[in-house]
Amino acid sequence: MPSGLQNLDYAAFVVLFCIGLYMVLARSNLVKKLLGLNIMETAVFAFIVTSGMVDDGTAPILGNGVAGPFASPLPHALILTGIVVAVSITALALALIVEIHRQCGTIEADELKGAE
Amino acid sequence: MALAIAAAAVPMLAGVMALPRPGDPAAPVHARVAAHVVAHGAEETGAENLVTAVLLAYRGYDTFGEVTVMFAALAAVMTVLAPRPRERSPEPADGVAISPVVVFVIRLLAPFIAAFAVLVVLRGNVSPGGGFQGGVMLGALLVLLSVVTGRGNERPLLEPRLASWLQAAGPLTFTLVALLGFATAGAVLALPADPAWARGAMLLALELGIGVGTAAIILGLFLQMRGW
Amino acid sequence: MEHWLPLVAMAPLAAAALAPALGRGRPALAWGLGVIAAAWSLLAAVLLTRRLVLEGPFSYAMGGWPAPYGIELRFDALSAATVFVALIYLLVLVYSRRYAEAAIPAHRRSWYYSLLMVNLGGLVGFVCAGDLFNLFVFMELASVSSYALVAAGGGRVAALAALKYLLAGAVSSVLILFSIGVLHALTGSLNIADVAARLAATGAGAPAALALGGLTAGFMVKAALFPLHLWLPDAHASAPSPVSAILSGLVVNIGIIGWLRILPIFSGLETMALGMVYEALAWLGAVAIIAGALAALFQQDIKLMLAYSTVSNIGYIVLGLGLAHPVAATGATVHVLNHALIKSTLFLAAGALIHQTGYRTLHDLRGAGRVMPWTCLALSIGVLAVVGLPPTAGFLGKWYIALGALEAGRPVFAVALLAGALLIFFYYVRILNAFYFRAPAQERMLSVREAPLSMLLPVLLLAALCVLGGLFGRWPIDLLAPLVRQLPGGG
Repeated sequence: MPSGLQNLDYAAFVVLFCIGLYMVLARSNLVKKLLGLNIMETAVFAFIVTSGMVDDGTAPILGNGVAGPFASPLPHALILTGIVVAVSITALALALIVEIHRQCGTIEADELKGAE
Repeated sequence: MALAIAAAAVPMLAGVMALPRPGDPAAPVHARVAAHVVAHGAEETGAENLVTAVLLAYRGYDTFGEVTVMFAALAAVMTVLAPRPRERSPEPADGVAISPVVVFVIRLLAPFIAAFAVLVVLRGNVSPGGGFQGGVMLGALLVLLSVVTGRGNERPLLEPRLASWLQAAGPLTFTLVALLGFATAGAVLALPADPAWARGAMLLALELGIGVGTAAIILGLFLQMRGW
Repeated sequence: MEHWLPLVAMAPLAAAALAPALGRGRPALAWGLGVIAAAWSLLAAVLLTRRLVLEGPFSYAMGGWPAPYGIELRFDALSAATVFVALIYLLVLVYSRRYAEAAIPAHRRSWYYSLLMVNLGGLVGFVCAGDLFNLFVFMELASVSSYALVAAGGGRVAALAALKYLLAGAVSSVLILFSIGVLHALTGSLNIADVAARLAATGAGAPAALALGGLTAGFMVKAALFPLHLWLPDAHASAPSPVSAILSGLVVNIGIIGWLRILPIFSGLETMALGMVYEALAWLGAVAIIAGALAALFQQDIKLMLAYSTVSNIGYIVLGLGLAHPVAATGATVHVLNHALIKSTLFLAAGALIHQTGYRTLHDLRGAGRVMPWTCLALSIGVLAVVGLPPTAGFLGKWYIALGALEAGRPVFAVALLAGALLIFFYYVRILNAFYFRAPAQERMLSVREAPLSMLLPVLLLAALCVLGGLFGRWPIDLLAPLVRQLPGGG
């Protein structure tokens, strides 16, 4: 299996994933944690789409006069579903944060630990 | 904490570096399912947009799950945030009054945006686009109109009774098409091969259902969160 | 017949979409819709299991597209868990009617039932999945509805617990999706059997090990294995009681069942990597048994006690799987089903107590045995089952795990199992003592009445199943044994 600098894209996405994970675990503000989660999700989506790319390829849409290697349509469908799921989770998380703010007056996890 | 995550990153990097190079046409990713879809997808499903073919035909069950997740998100926000009917606070004063220029421009552009969104939904089979993309555009337009015309929870753009049915449009359309597919083609969520128009009609129905459902859900989410 | 397989999941999901539209202003209608959908799923699950027993495992190509181009649904011995899921859900729904009328405001109730239906559909679809991404989508269905259901009853503790649960669950889901992406990049397919075959053919390497690690970590967070269990106690304790029953009995098993489903993919992996995973799981499981039991010992709130008991029982299951021995693995898988029955009984009975008396701590609930005899009887049966005394359902699974530990030459794990059982025994003596042998500490306890019939019957039925499950315990074991033998690494 080839390795080395060819998979720099993948490495970048892994780094992004870890940055997002760090934000979720280490940041105290709840909205920042949510942002970290979104960064993680974006990194995974980018990873999946990149894995389906082809050199000199075009989008997987047939039409008049479109030829040449097509990128794999499967990752596109996967991440479409993934994005919708991510949006749904974000919506629910924001609603919970709004509710927490209404009930506790703060959205810093440090202060909330005392309030429990 | 940072050290722990860096330590976890090392095996991830090692594993990922050993994957086949992205873009390599001989990579396994293109060999199995993708090759079949690219070669036969258009004739088997009647959709030239291969992503739509995968989304609505080959992996239609996943898309059904997906529209239901979105509906579940709406149900979730409704459950967590539903304001008591009596306790609804008066509309909070917006920080800056919306300039009439903005209102005029948005009202002017709204029909065009809506037309574009509908076009994206309907042309999902042959060009980039589809139910979700068009539905999100339509939903965003409805949210914008809600803000600009000031019709929040008092007189929402979509009457609540109708809104409940439109929000359920996604999963319900899928269920109906699934049963129809069973009746005509012998498998749940199948596409009939014989009358090509029937196949196209079912795909169109799915796209419309997804589009309408997505738009209604996005508006519903916005209105629900704004209530606070 | 096999066309019923996708409909088992689609029916509850369609009902979920209909419930808010039909139930506007009449939540009872939404409830009725939910009960019908759950009963329908139960019937379909029983019929499918009957076919499984008569003809063996079978698959269904969704939409007529053959695997691996389309989505394959699989019904094998593990999928027979659908029967348990649907049955427990039906009973929880019947129970939920009175409970929801008290605990959930009227304008939220239709949406609450809708969420319950989504959860049911997600669980059932998850258990029958034969495709990696389908597994993911239905896992997310069950998870999103679970996060929201925790906060359904309102209150600050529940909202916080729900958010913590959401963050832990979403992070693990993203990790699982990443691993699925890696597997897809390696093999070009998403069908579980296909991926397994292609990995075995082309040889797996570092990426496959990465995928295994990611999937294991992700699923074990969802299963609340120590030390990744921190999200569980608050979430399960502050949720409405019927939801706690579902979460502790069913949703937490997503991690275990998911892991069992993806395990055959890695049978080609070199034994060292797989062996390390098993070892780690066995040790963490053993620690979880003791840690969970100890933590439960120090709780006063009855629902927190039950939540930590879930952590302990997951420890049993993971230990059984990590021992990589067929007897232990069979015991672990059977315990998944038995624990579902036992924990639902316990949470529903505790919920009935809280509903009637308004008290949650052991101290305040003293003397409950005299005023609510049937509920406490069910609770006591559940207690005996959780300790693992024969002939209740809890005994068989733990016995097999212990046997497996001894046969595999790892007696230290059998000792851990025994220690856990003893600890549980102590704190349940506390419970029985408080209910039956102590004078009431609160005045209100004297005038409390027994729980209403719609809440009492499901609880008693589940308690009866706890006993029946023990008496007829051989049957699921025989059903699961051939599946367990196929697990890689000596399972």
